[in-house]
Amino acid sequence: MSRATPKMRDFAERLVVYEAKGNRSSGTKTPVACLVIDKLRPQLATLMGNIGFRALLSRTLALSNTEFPWLRAVHVKAEGSLEGLDELDAQVDPDEIFEGCLVLLAQMLGLLVTFIGEDLTLRLVREVWPKLSLNSLDVGKGER
Amino acid sequence: MKKRNRKLAKKEAVSQRAKVTIRKLPTGVRGLDDILGGGIPEFSFNIIAGTPGCGKTTLAHQIVFANATARKPALYFTVLGEPALKMLRYQQQYSFFDESRLGTAVRFINLSDVVLEKDLNTVLEEIIKEVTATNPGVVVVDSFRTVVRKAMAGAGELEMQSFIQRLAQFLTSWEATSFLVGEYTVDEMRDNPLFTVADGLLWLSQVAERNSVVRKLQIYKLRGVASVPGLHTIRISYDGMQAFSRTLGLIGQRPKPSRRRRLSVGVPELDKMMGGGLLEGDSLLIAGPSGTGKSALATQFIAEGLRKGEPGIMAIFEERPKGYTDRADSFGLNLETPQQKGKLEILYLRPLDLSVDETMQEILDAIKRVGAKRLVIDSLVGFEMALAPGFRTDFRESLYRMIAALTGAGVTILSTVEVEDKFTEMSLSHYTISFLTDDIIRLRYVEIDGQLRKIMVVIKMRGGNHSKDIREYVITDKGVVVIHPRSTDYDGLTTGIPTRTGPRPSQKEETPPEPKAKK
Repeated sequence: MSRATPKMRDFAERLVVYEAKGNRSSGTKTPVACLVIDKLRPQLATLMGNIGFRALLSRTLALSNTEFPWLRAVHVKAEGSLEGLDELDAQVDPDEIFEGCLVLLAQMLGLLVTFIGEDLTLRLVREVWPKLSLNSLDVGKGER
Repeated sequence: MKKRNRKLAKKEAVSQRAKVTIRKLPTGVRGLDDILGGGIPEFSFNIIAGTPGCGKTTLAHQIVFANATARKPALYFTVLGEPALKMLRYQQQYSFFDESRLGTAVRFINLSDVVLEKDLNTVLEEIIKEVTATNPGVVVVDSFRTVVRKAMAGAGELEMQSFIQRLAQFLTSWEATSFLVGEYTVDEMRDNPLFTVADGLLWLSQVAERNSVVRKLQIYKLRGVASVPGLHTIRISYDGMQAFSRTLGLIGQRPKPSRRRRLSVGVPELDKMMGGGLLEGDSLLIAGPSGTGKSALATQFIAEGLRKGEPGIMAIFEERPKGYTDRADSFGLNLETPQQKGKLEILYLRPLDLSVDETMQEILDAIKRVGAKRLVIDSLVGFEMALAPGFRTDFRESLYRMIAALTGAGVTILSTVEVEDKFTEMSLSHYTISFLTDDIIRLRYVEIDGQLRKIMVVIKMRGGNHSKDIREYVITDKGVVVIHPRSTDYDGLTTGIPTRTGPRPSQKEETPPEPKAKK
């Protein structure tokens, strides 16, 4: 069952937009949504351990595979980062990669909300982006 | 002599000066601080142990949320036990769980990877690193058992002992009150260095008897404070854990005043039989078989109190509250309005795994809420049935404690007990609990002139003299009414089959009941 509901996609988009603003000059090829996931990693690993984070990310990938089959080529490395994304550049349309990674992030946020609820998920996200105003996950309520 | 006194005074002054004041941390668990002798001693190194499902993690969380502040946060190290996500998922259901404090006052750190991949020294280094960085007031390691298990697989016993010593010393030196949570059995306590080093040992257990399970707590040791020994009942609800001390209500009791008022029980002739009424602060037991009007008397007792401005509590275990208010209505007594005005509470207690302590706590809370002066417990048989089987075995002792605690709270108690009428003797109750009540009234059936009539007698009144008469009574639309004449023409009323000693009065012919309608 997909956790990337429209609400979660919107949440993911807000994080991507915010992160993209701060990453304009970085010149990295990695999709911003995946950078967001990577930024969340230490926070989540502190809470649930590296093993726990890897399990969560694996489930996220599995949920996203059905919508974006090319994500099957992406794997979770031992330290919890994603590998295989760079190799996709030549095979998949960049817009498709952007969309797939956005869904990946939305799935992950959706899983977190399912497990620990909206309040705690927002709290975890706020700890990574303290300046990002997130009052709730309801579209239009928080600042964009 | 003077010299000796001076010496003693000096010695006392020195000892007082040298004594350290141990501050105690609240546990956030209702009732537990009293059991602990005030709370958890600050900077102590404690173990929360027990079998799975006893509430160890819940207890640890309650302590954390009761003490953590942004300036002195709580560090909660999770290790290979319940996954952190699930822990947060379940613990946030409790009312004490305040998610706004996560990340600032309460910080969760997962040590699973370090424990799995590294040795004990690295585990200790990781704890030291986090504690040094955050300067916490409370530190929890959950589950410490897994740390030990992993460590023992690769390290010797001596290394394990050294690790525990270093951990305890470090956490205490950093002014942290720490809790190691672990699944242990009582047998494991022997020869385990952890239990020797620990200042406090809080043991949780689940006791199953027949179909009932009761949670218990025992303080095996707690250095520096006088905790209450023995097994205490605990219950976990939406508000988390609640503990019920074995001595609940027995501490801080008010002694009965030397001059006490007489309270009317709502039946004027019965008041006379009792020498003017029931003594305030007494415990009265009404014993009698089914249908003799015990609950009616209890209703009249409460209604009379309400009429005189004395709020009341009715703890009922058999009949539903509606039955009570309906009966009161039929006697012309209104119990609805006082309930709406907060002057009366009818507590309907019928779960099948209650403990006496929980019941007592519930009643004590209600007494406090309404400022009750009168209390009805209807009935002791129903109360016993509502208890978990494990508590039924020592019902008498528990009841003794409960009655003492409740009268100690300044209320006057009327309890009822159902007894089976025998036609050879007149028993007071099958519990042999009459020693714990101040006053006893016995109701019973007697066979007179081909009718089953009702009589009552005051068996004892600890606080004074009482009538020795055996009086006949009826239950009318006014409730229990003692009827005249005072003396009867019968002997052997207490056997239930009396013999006439006077002339047989002529009886009015009674109209036979209507025949049943034919189909």
